[in-house]
Amino acid sequence: MCCSIRGCRHDGPDRSDVCACGDTRPPGQHRGVRPVSVADPEMLDAPEPVEAWWRRLLRDPSALLASLVLLIVVFCALAAPAISPHDPFASSRAIMQPPIWAEGGDWLHPLGTDGQGRDMLSRLFYGTRLTLIIGLVSVGIGGAFGSLMGLLAAFRPGLDPWVMRCVDVMLSFPAILLGLALVAVMGPGALPVIVALAVATVPDCARIARSVAVSVMQQDYIEAGRALGLSNFALFTRYLLRNCISSIMIFLSLRFGQIILIGAALSFLGLGARPPTAELGMMAAQGRDFLLFAPHIAIIPSVLIFVIVLAANVLGDALRDVLDPRLRS
Amino acid sequence: MIEQILKRLLISIPVLFGVLFLGFGLLILVPGDPAIVMAGPTATPEVVAAIRAEMGLDDPVLVQFGNYLGRVLQGDLGRSLISNKTVVSELAAAIGPTAELMFACLIWSVPLGIGLGTLAAVWRGSLVDRAIMAISVAGVSLPIFFICLMMIQYLGVEWRLLPFIGRGGPLWTIDGLRHIALPALSLGAIFIGPVARMTRSSVLEVLKLDHVRTARAKGLSETRVILRHGLRNALIPVVTLIGLQVGYLLGGAVVTESIFSFPGVGRLAVGAILSSDFPLAQGTILVLALGFILINMIVDILYVLLDPRVQA
Repeated sequence: MCCSIRGCRHDGPDRSDVCACGDTRPPGQHRGVRPVSVADPEMLDAPEPVEAWWRRLLRDPSALLASLVLLIVVFCALAAPAISPHDPFASSRAIMQPPIWAEGGDWLHPLGTDGQGRDMLSRLFYGTRLTLIIGLVSVGIGGAFGSLMGLLAAFRPGLDPWVMRCVDVMLSFPAILLGLALVAVMGPGALPVIVALAVATVPDCARIARSVAVSVMQQDYIEAGRALGLSNFALFTRYLLRNCISSIMIFLSLRFGQIILIGAALSFLGLGARPPTAELGMMAAQGRDFLLFAPHIAIIPSVLIFVIVLAANVLGDALRDVLDPRLRS
Repeated sequence: MIEQILKRLLISIPVLFGVLFLGFGLLILVPGDPAIVMAGPTATPEVVAAIRAEMGLDDPVLVQFGNYLGRVLQGDLGRSLISNKTVVSELAAAIGPTAELMFACLIWSVPLGIGLGTLAAVWRGSLVDRAIMAISVAGVSLPIFFICLMMIQYLGVEWRLLPFIGRGGPLWTIDGLRHIALPALSLGAIFIGPVARMTRSSVLEVLKLDHVRTARAKGLSETRVILRHGLRNALIPVVTLIGLQVGYLLGGAVVTESIFSFPGVGRLAVGAILSSDFPLAQGTILVLALGFILINMIVDILYVLLDPRVQA
């Protein structure tokens, strides 16, 4: 091959054959890039520009609804101090007051109060905040490390066996076990839960990132980039990372729901966030003792977790269908 | 085939060491002096020093790890700080119930999940398919503790159908069955969704293959085509995927056992961690990790046995 474009026939038996890159100069003098010209028949056949991915996404009604729900949830979590009607930690004399739709509810506490007379609505805002922080931080950190490992394994095939053995070992520790182990060492709290969930995200993310990156590395544009003399760093960030990032993001958005569920379960068991802070799983656990008399204390936070996770899952599924149907399995 | 299985066993050796090191590290990493932790807050300095010497805490870490390995191999995991029973005896009493719970959960959820997934694949795009997929997405999004609480609230308290505290006895007795019903229903409920999803995509994949077309061309009935030629081949990936979900199930079991006071390893672990019973916590985590590795190994070997293509 005289230039790095596949299918170049310039050094074939018939030397007068024009190279696929369009350059008519003799072999060895090509720049290795296909010149863009209107006369190029392939360019004329180029498909219509594709509709923006987010437009296609929002045309799906369930995805639209899910994004709306998540937006509202995130807004409530961010604006918790501003929109909370009461202090989430202050008890009042109205203990176990039912929510507004049940008999005996009033507008002072629209979602009622918990076993210590604290306003449920305000605690929900703050609880959502902590639940989302635990989920986002652990998915973010774990996702970053995992994708770096996976991409490096594909980029430098020499590293691949080492990275994958590491991943195999890490896969042997499911999130819940890591959580139990770290809490045993560090004591209950949000931090060990975040660390455990982040570590548990790394191996799965590395596997996904690697499998996507391996197929990207076989594409012609990587070879073209190399031929252009791009540095490894530029090749890695501009060519590899950019083409893998959407698949990785889809995986992480689907992972987010699971992480929230495990974090909430750990908090429910008393191993995660500590009182008096509010966390949705912990709030459900506190409501467990009042299940008979005031079921809303346990049910409302549980339903909120369900809604958040469901929205994240639906949105993740829709994102995958729109951005990367290959991942569908 | 034997080569494949040997390879799989070799891979699990570093994992095994990792697990043992984790178990060992748990006691070493505990903030503060493990000897003080072991001795309790009221111990005198002499007692602490004696425990330090006894535990070999003055030795280099690698020597300590070696000693720890030796003790574990002899089945010595120390004594519980709370009950003063040996950790091994506590674990021995808890492993059976956990295995029972897992079995009782899988026995109904896996066949149901596979059935639903197959139906969804066969009637792809229909209302049935969409309903089944919606249920399974909802199922994966439900917090397990919520399912457990609802089971207790309605099936246990309100309608008084089934007991919801503890274990009634071995699985083969009526009382044992009645007590395990609610935990097994709750745990299975979160497992149907993933199984149905996996089965659906796996069956869809297989139904596209040539041998299915041949079977149809032969004039076989559609039921026969789907059951004998579709589902049968689709089950192989489902087996591995179920294996991959064992960690997910384990997390659910820890929560379920705790809520229903079911005396399994998960509840033991949570109780030990909450009461700072370090030797017991270490033992339970070790056993849970070993169980997880073992199940994954069995699933991988099953995969090799089931799918002749892997053997090549």
